[in-house]
Amino acid sequence: MNPVITAILLALTAMLANGEYFLGSSMLSRPLVTCTIAGLIMGNMTAGIIMGATLELAFIGSFSIGASIPPEIISGSILGTAFAIGAGKSTAVALTLGIPIASLVLVIKNLCFIFVLPYFVHKADRYATEANDKGLDRMNILGGFFSINLPIGLIVGISFLLGSPMIKAFLAIIPKFVIDGLGIATGLLPAYGFALLMKLMINKNNAVFFILGFALAVYLKVPVTGVAIFGACLALILTGYAAFKGQNEPITENASANKDQNNKGGIDYEDEEF
Amino acid sequence: MKMKSSKLLTKKDLRKTFWRSFTMEWAWNYERQMNLGYTYSMIPALKKIYKGNKEKLTDAYKRHLEFFNVTPWLSTFPLGISIAMEEQNALHPDFDDKSINNIKVALMGPLSGLGDSFFWGTLRVIATGIGTSLALQGNILGPLLFLLIFNIPALLARYYGLYIGYNIGASFIEKVQKTGLMDRLSYGASVLGLGVVGAMVATMVTVKMPLKIGSGAEATSITKIFDGIVPGILPLLFTFFIYWLNSKGVKAQWILLLIAAIGIFGAWSGILG
Repeated sequence: MNPVITAILLALTAMLANGEYFLGSSMLSRPLVTCTIAGLIMGNMTAGIIMGATLELAFIGSFSIGASIPPEIISGSILGTAFAIGAGKSTAVALTLGIPIASLVLVIKNLCFIFVLPYFVHKADRYATEANDKGLDRMNILGGFFSINLPIGLIVGISFLLGSPMIKAFLAIIPKFVIDGLGIATGLLPAYGFALLMKLMINKNNAVFFILGFALAVYLKVPVTGVAIFGACLALILTGYAAFKGQNEPITENASANKDQNNKGGIDYEDEEF
Repeated sequence: MKMKSSKLLTKKDLRKTFWRSFTMEWAWNYERQMNLGYTYSMIPALKKIYKGNKEKLTDAYKRHLEFFNVTPWLSTFPLGISIAMEEQNALHPDFDDKSINNIKVALMGPLSGLGDSFFWGTLRVIATGIGTSLALQGNILGPLLFLLIFNIPALLARYYGLYIGYNIGASFIEKVQKTGLMDRLSYGASVLGLGVVGAMVATMVTVKMPLKIGSGAEATSITKIFDGIVPGILPLLFTFFIYWLNSKGVKAQWILLLIAAIGIFGAWSGILG
């Protein structure tokens, strides 16, 4: 096949894989799926499936939990498979070829996370003040597409044409502290989100609970779920759970009048009459 | 699944939310994580709930553009609750709309804990196990079964989660509203929500200062010294610093640029790592 067409098909495969996040987080980005498709494109699907299984087991530790994003497995596994089948190399060699490209994708992804995607997030804030729902729709769809999906596709396609050594040489030009610095910045960014959330929620009466949650996490190493459970108990106690329980049934005007009679008994009720 | 009867919404409206929730992680960002996906999923319901009330609709959009994160396949459960609460907010003028986000934030932690261990820790391991054992023999059923075993339960959770969330939200909030305990619920939710935010600041904001002071065996990193005062004080101070910048009215893009610059300068000088 014409290498340009192959490159385009591999780029589309990468975009489909990342498209899992548009399609219900449906695991399309896992090597089991991407390597199979890459194998099909390279004309040897069986080899692709086997390689996908090998890579899947190798990557078994790499999954996103909470705020962490997966290391760039999409480009690594697609190009690894393509190089291995195209050049008749072993999986291990192919993966080594895929690693510089995966690191490049990671750098570009971090750049996009810091400089491109926030543009869409903040434009959405503006659309919200105008009650512009079409604008909000666009920010969600275009934000994900231009900041992450398209860059991954482009890098995978171009890298396939240029070859791994070229990418490695290119990576060597970028100073290490820029790459590391971008990684550090992604660790700092959630602070901004929390600051915005705190601005919305915090006031003089409840600030102490923020400190409490923080202290539980750092001193007692309670995970967030645990803090939520402690918080729920505390909330129930502070709001008077017993009183809440008693009044839980929806009561109409009439029913509540009857209830008063039953509870208070005759004497009180008659007292009112005098 | 049956949906609790509603004055403002039909089952069809909720179905739109179901489909839109598929994009929950599409525009996932470091700053507010799933906020765009969540708002996108809320839009059809919000438009109907606040028809002809632009001011309240704007408030609702802004509300849901705040920070949110949860295991994606369970995201419809808090969506259902949020929709039910927004509906009550439209019907009752005395409803405290702050409680909507407080409840949302309070749900993040426990739902993610449950969801991560079930979907990532259990379901994915089973699907991968079966998928890889077939795929190692070159069998196409490997990747296919992998996708099916994972996605069928995930889809069911996503579908039923929405209605369960809506029904629970609607009946519970209605009761609270009728008994006049709304301000207590709101206060309780803020206690819970802020506790969770405090814990998240401690665990999700990463500031490390590996630079060592002293020499030889006595050398300790700056992070260690600060952690000796209060563990995790660096992320906390950094969050307060950003909070302060934000309250001084510094524009978002400057804050983001500053964060990128701090990261790069920190790596260059070796102060941050």
